[in-house]
Amino acid sequence: MATLALAGCGLGAGSRPVRVSLLVTQGFGAQTVLARQAPKVVGADTVMRMLERNASVTTRYGGGFVESIQKLSGGGASDWFYYVNGVQAGKGAADTKLHSGDHVWWDRHDWAATQTIPAVVGSFPEPFLDGYGGKRLPLLIECTQTASPSCRAVEDEFTSLKLVASLSCLLCSQYNESLPVLVGPYATLTPAPAAVKLAGPVSSSGVYARFEDAGRKLVLLDQRGRVVRSAGAGAGLVAATRYAGQPPTWFVTGTDAAGVAAAVQAFNAQTLDGHFAVAVIDDAAIPLPDSGP
Amino acid sequence: MTYLRRASPLHAARASVAAAYCAALVTAAFLSSHPLVLAVLALAVLGAGLACGVGSRVARSLWLSLPMGLAIVLVNALVTREGLTVLVRLGDGGPLGQLDVTLEALAFGAKEALLLVVVVAVAALASAVIDPDEVLRSLRRVSFRSALTATIATRMLPLLALDARRIGEAQRCRPQPPGRLAVMRAITANALDRSLDVAATLEVRGYGSARRPPRTRRAASRHDLAVAASAVALVALAAAWPAPFSYYPTIAGSFDASAFAHAAALALVALAPFTQRRGISR
Repeated sequence: MATLALAGCGLGAGSRPVRVSLLVTQGFGAQTVLARQAPKVVGADTVMRMLERNASVTTRYGGGFVESIQKLSGGGASDWFYYVNGVQAGKGAADTKLHSGDHVWWDRHDWAATQTIPAVVGSFPEPFLDGYGGKRLPLLIECTQTASPSCRAVEDEFTSLKLVASLSCLLCSQYNESLPVLVGPYATLTPAPAAVKLAGPVSSSGVYARFEDAGRKLVLLDQRGRVVRSAGAGAGLVAATRYAGQPPTWFVTGTDAAGVAAAVQAFNAQTLDGHFAVAVIDDAAIPLPDSGP
Repeated sequence: MTYLRRASPLHAARASVAAAYCAALVTAAFLSSHPLVLAVLALAVLGAGLACGVGSRVARSLWLSLPMGLAIVLVNALVTREGLTVLVRLGDGGPLGQLDVTLEALAFGAKEALLLVVVVAVAALASAVIDPDEVLRSLRRVSFRSALTATIATRMLPLLALDARRIGEAQRCRPQPPGRLAVMRAITANALDRSLDVAATLEVRGYGSARRPPRTRRAASRHDLAVAASAVALVALAAAWPAPFSYYPTIAGSFDASAFAHAAALALVALAPFTQRRGISR
């Protein structure tokens, strides 16, 4: 009986997760459709069931696929995607169980450029606060210069959230099961496999920006993956991606030290809230994908 | 499932009208999502069967469809991820995903099972009251050869069943009964011999060069009119005055006076043709 209970089996609705929140947006977080800080949750709900309790939803394929939320339906190259604590789930919403502290974010967006955006920053301080998939992971700040003000500023941000972070040099930790935040100019982060993705296409990284010219140039892309603008010195980026099924890797980076400093300024819940990634050019935070100057 | 000749208004109506009546019953069932309406429709079909003297046939079909209905309820409860009232959590079912049995999925499965029961019952009623020869006669003008082929095929099936029964009885009389394979072989050989005979007979009688028969006019009887009116009214009632009932994400619908009135009206309309028995000999 105990084994069955541990496996999530049992009669009735099950135990209810707490501190759950729900956000429904469209256009990569540009427009909020629904926001519930304390949505209705009954028992051991799944992500889909929680959505259905709190919004007008139509589904397809036996309830496994969301067709519309609040009468906004997918279609063409636009569909509903969801992220739990900023991480795109590997399975359907009807199969994803809710856990305490989960921030569920549904977004209807254009998938012409990529169908896979493995991680987003808009749920910050998640997934550092409660982890993802019901599993909390240790926080690891990896800096190219651990004594740099940017590195310390990122650590201070976590400290203000009462989160304990391990500080280490880049790739110095042998422990893979952690949530790494890589801090430093992009050119110095490239030994990390996940960082290489940021120089690749959006279909690889899921970030609507890429570094070019050995990290000296940051190119911002629109939702179709087209180049909108680019910036050189002083450009920063706060983004997240995943490499080979590992936990998401966050980046507080830039084209140079000034760019990293600019990114650090944007590394807070207020600036990142509801955005897939944020670029900083001329001290202005630009949500990604870029909708143009 | 063969045609049973009885003295009833539905038997007295022409085959096309009786078929339309049965189709209307199925259409009304598909247009209704209210479980009460479906249950009443099932009872109405049973009532129609009793009024036609084929009640036992229809009742048997109801029993036969119950296991299939239960299977539908079970599969729907396990496969569907919809519904918000979780009754049982079965955990992660591998490729089936998160297996939560919800009240809504059970209710929807039960509704689908009821629909199946109605459809199977109507099929049993149709097979018992609609003369297949008359149906095929009416199709001769559309496609003579197809009608002929269908006639022969439908004639052959009961014949094969009779063969099987006859040979089975003979088999049981023997001290050492032969196996099923031997019986099947005998029936198949018999059927092939018979098909050759039928082909030769058709050839000799000149069916190959037959032409489309002329149209034959037949005045509509009072039973034709009553059954046709019932069919039209059934579909119109089900389409124009639906009893709302939805299952997902939560069950929404009531068993109020309106639902009862709708179900009763459908039952009355379905059974109305059987009140008129003038001109039907016992």
